[in-house]
Amino acid sequence: MNTDTQYLHEVAASDYEHGWVTEVVSDTIPKGLSEDIIRLIASKKQDPDWMLENRLRAFRYWQKLEAADQRPNWAHLSIPAIDFQNISYYSAPGSKPKYESLEEVDPEILRTFERLGIPLQEQKLLAGVAVDAVIDSVSVATSFKEELSQLGIIFCSFTEAIEKHPELVQKYMGSVVPYTDNFYAALNAAVFSDGSFCYIPPGVRCPMELSTYFRINEAGTGQFERTLIVADKGSYVSYLEGCTAPRRDDNQLHAAVVEIIAHEDAEVKYSTIQNWYPGDSGGTGGVFNFVTKRGICLEDRAKISWTQLETGSSITWKYPSVILKGDNTKGEFYSVAFTKGRQQADTGTKMLHLGRNTSSTIISKGISAGRSSNSYRGLVRINRKADNARNFSQCDSMLLGDRCGAHTFPYLETSNPTAQVEHEATTSKVGEDQIFYCKQRGISEQDAIKLIVSGFCQEILAKLPMEFAVEARKLLAIELEGSVG
Amino acid sequence: MTPVLEVKNLKASVEGLPILKGVDLTVYAGELHAIMGPNGSGKSTLASVLAGREEYEVNGGTVLYQGEDLLEMEVDERAREGLFMAFQYPVELPGVSMMNFLKQAVNSVREHRGQKPLGAAALLRMAKEKAALINLDSRLKKRSVNEGFSGGEKKRNEIFQLAMLDPRLAILDETDSGLDIDALRSVADGVNVLRTDDRAFVVITHYQRLLNHIVPDYVHVMYDGRIVLSGNKELALQLEARGYDWVSQEAVPA
Amino acid sequence: MTTSTATRSPAETRLIEAFYRLFSPSRNGEPGFLRNLRNEAIDCFQSLGFPGKKDEAWKYTSLSGVLREPLTVQEQCDPPASVHGIAGLDAHTGVFVGDTRSDSLSSLASLPEGVIVSSLTSAPPALVAAHLGQHATISGRAFVALNTAFLRNGAFVYMPDGTVCEQPIHIVHALTGAGATLAQPRTLVVAGTGAQLRLIETVEAHLSGSSLINGVTEIFVGPDAHVSRFEIQDPANHISVVSTLDVYQNGGSHFQNNTFTFGGNVMRNNINMLPDAEGCETLLHGLFIARGHSHIDNHTLVDHAKPRCFSSENYRGILDGHATGVFNGKVLVRQDAQQINAYQTNKSIVLANTARMYAKPELEIYADDVKCSHGATTGQLNEEALFYLRSRGLTLSQARTLMLQAFARDIIEKVPLQPLRDALDQRVAAGLMH
Repeated sequence: MNTDTQYLHEVAASDYEHGWVTEVVSDTIPKGLSEDIIRLIASKKQDPDWMLENRLRAFRYWQKLEAADQRPNWAHLSIPAIDFQNISYYSAPGSKPKYESLEEVDPEILRTFERLGIPLQEQKLLAGVAVDAVIDSVSVATSFKEELSQLGIIFCSFTEAIEKHPELVQKYMGSVVPYTDNFYAALNAAVFSDGSFCYIPPGVRCPMELSTYFRINEAGTGQFERTLIVADKGSYVSYLEGCTAPRRDDNQLHAAVVEIIAHEDAEVKYSTIQNWYPGDSGGTGGVFNFVTKRGICLEDRAKISWTQLETGSSITWKYPSVILKGDNTKGEFYSVAFTKGRQQADTGTKMLHLGRNTSSTIISKGISAGRSSNSYRGLVRINRKADNARNFSQCDSMLLGDRCGAHTFPYLETSNPTAQVEHEATTSKVGEDQIFYCKQRGISEQDAIKLIVSGFCQEILAKLPMEFAVEARKLLAIELEGSVG
Repeated sequence: MTPVLEVKNLKASVEGLPILKGVDLTVYAGELHAIMGPNGSGKSTLASVLAGREEYEVNGGTVLYQGEDLLEMEVDERAREGLFMAFQYPVELPGVSMMNFLKQAVNSVREHRGQKPLGAAALLRMAKEKAALINLDSRLKKRSVNEGFSGGEKKRNEIFQLAMLDPRLAILDETDSGLDIDALRSVADGVNVLRTDDRAFVVITHYQRLLNHIVPDYVHVMYDGRIVLSGNKELALQLEARGYDWVSQEAVPA
Repeated sequence: MTTSTATRSPAETRLIEAFYRLFSPSRNGEPGFLRNLRNEAIDCFQSLGFPGKKDEAWKYTSLSGVLREPLTVQEQCDPPASVHGIAGLDAHTGVFVGDTRSDSLSSLASLPEGVIVSSLTSAPPALVAAHLGQHATISGRAFVALNTAFLRNGAFVYMPDGTVCEQPIHIVHALTGAGATLAQPRTLVVAGTGAQLRLIETVEAHLSGSSLINGVTEIFVGPDAHVSRFEIQDPANHISVVSTLDVYQNGGSHFQNNTFTFGGNVMRNNINMLPDAEGCETLLHGLFIARGHSHIDNHTLVDHAKPRCFSSENYRGILDGHATGVFNGKVLVRQDAQQINAYQTNKSIVLANTARMYAKPELEIYADDVKCSHGATTGQLNEEALFYLRSRGLTLSQARTLMLQAFARDIIEKVPLQPLRDALDQRVAAGLMH
């Protein structure tokens, strides 16, 4: 029992691996948020007029929400008052708003990504993964662009997409997450500076994993990126997203938007390993991760699958969702959320069934340690015309300590008599009998707990693409490790 | 020769209720001891105390394991020292793959013995060998530990782990309970293959039928927290024929 | 959250004015604690106002239509000619007309020694003062505050330590009145150490207008006491109900609640359990059949504040026509409330494509050594089973009714009183007829 408690204390206090800072001169604009700032960002980004108009419209809407105190407050989170005037909304490392080739990138930045295990030099490219690397407000490199473009796949930074594929951006941006969606979506639409764009043409199965790696570096800045993925008829893509940030004593705001559009028979698999700096064990610092992620299965037989491993951020507010609009469409949400220290997570999904014969699956595993708070919040809505909709949800929580919280808030709304909605949830601690069994086989208590917790998450980690799954397991092991050397 | 296990006047209770009231048992390497007795006589409690379950409180007596004080050792330390318990109700570990589990278990035992840890390939080879030895369906190795296993599969998996961990003393706690005759035979065959000169077995069972397949060197009968009768395999047959009521009459209070 | 006079709705204004008209100056002969309770409650209600859509607890249920009616606070109530009771049930029956016990309609002659079934105002004042408003607290709860603000009298049940009441006690709230009425029955039950009680609560409402019944029942369950409560709600379609039950459980006690809801306009049940000592057992069962335009909402909270307790909750609903069902069940396990086992299931069957079901089963857990689970399903009758029954010669309608009755029986069979079970079976059968 004592070793158990002690180990759990160590888990709760274990260290953050990516907390170092890249020393690089950045072009960071003054703190504050106003129409002038929006115009400044637009001019830095060399936005076309329509984009500036979009930003201003979103900004005015956001101002209205801010004035009416319409920050979302329904989640099971205690969010300190954020001073939106005390954040810098744009920071470009190495004073370049845009990079034409890797030669232009400050070696210090390249080293940053190498240290994170994301080498960008062509000779060191990860086999089978194309990467778009975003640091602060700027995409610094996108690999395998040539190879992909031969298949008609567009994979580039958002900035480049605005410049080279404005018709696609205009058609799809905001179509799934309009700026009116919520407070942070409005903020993002006003100030977003870069992100990734991806278009898979009809019938193309993307031959490699596409990946965006996000890194916040500069102090006092927020990161507001947008990802837009369009999978045209009959196409397939698997998309990965990873995130880290340095250790800083003040909180950093990350308010991203991800939109996915899946056309007829298209399939998009989106995987995230979220490892933003979680703050120290006393709750100082850390990233506020307020993200709106949503996909739409626009036409028949489309499928969107979200898989996430959430270990970072001091506060996570995130509900990757699927709108099942076409008939026979499928939505999936697989999640592992691990919180420790003073972390707070309120995460889950929304499955909105509009079309006929639509189905959704939700499997969520929450692990709470230390003094953290970990909530699952999920909505399943079966609309009146969604005949024969099916949903299955399972939410399991595991508690590693007696000062943390694990909560489950499902909302099941059924307006069609042919729907079948099933939800199950359990909350428990690591079984004493399981620990005893492992110990009787010579495995130490700490290893036993690690083994059992990894087993608890296995079902979800198995959904991640191979390269990512390895990273995810490593990350989880580090999270569970007493200390990092 | 030092006995593998030497239990002297062992007394233990659970939640204040005395269960073991003075157990004596000496087991040498190469021997197989069967402990029989009616429900509630304390058989499984003895196994639990030897394995180190915390909910049992030892109130008196000593247990020497290879000459060392067993009761002073942690549960995992006992396992690394070569004490293995085949559980009556093996626990499921959802999502924990058999091979990952075995790798940690086998290597922690090997490390303790000063042996090099086995790599994945060597471990797989060993697992294949041992599985073949006890006729285990190799598909079981690919699943999560005991998850969704039938009763018989769980028990055979215990014997498989016994084979992998190569213990000095194996305690089989009602390994025959709930098994049909085919599964029982298969478990017994596994045990017989694993009987060696340097390994001792303590087999706890309610029924004599297991002992048709695993022939014991000694048979002990527990009653009300004590071993009240000891003999050879004939004693088991006698018990089968006359029932435990006979023991309660024979047993002379100490 | 304070509502200023400017933002006050007409309904709120009307009620607050009614309060000052009725209770000022103070009424003669009343104990001071009652007056204090009322005054605190009206202040509380004034600052809260009625909950709206923005309140998470009222996300799926709106009373705005009901509150648009010019509701008149019921001041006095004429006795009905008779009350129905439950056929074949041998019970001690206390009939309360408005808020006062009717001696002519009640039958309480054979109550065991020491057991009290009386009006609150005729009960021992010390007992009432010790419990009234102590379990049904007003803070943050507009409907309890409203009920308490107009509290003059009500039903009181007292079981002294160690008493066992073999026959159930049946409290009937008889409410009569013309026009849109706000009726607010109140019940206080105190069960002493080791007492055993089965309590049935029903409302017989003869209210002609679109009325609202805002009832509050508070129950104190003493150490090792066993209390089971059965509430049957079957009002006419123009009547809406907000029914609040607050239960405080002492160590080793057992409490079971069973709510059956068959009709009405907007029906909202707030059930709050506080097992506040070790070794409590709490069972919550509910069955509702919603047809027509009925809206039936069951909100339950089991607040596990102390360790080593058990709770189990089982709710079932059948929805047809344009009806809406809501189930919001929350299990809260507070820090240090270790070794809690809490289970919850909610199953609903939606029969029509104009009916809706909203389920929100919640777990909020702050202790680690717990086993908690919930399951919720919404679906329809098993097609294969229907086919099987039809292949045996049943009509589709017979087959459906048979299966729905079986679905409902899962809850009904938890009722230990045969005549009550029979009455519920019959009511279910009637409710399922097309």
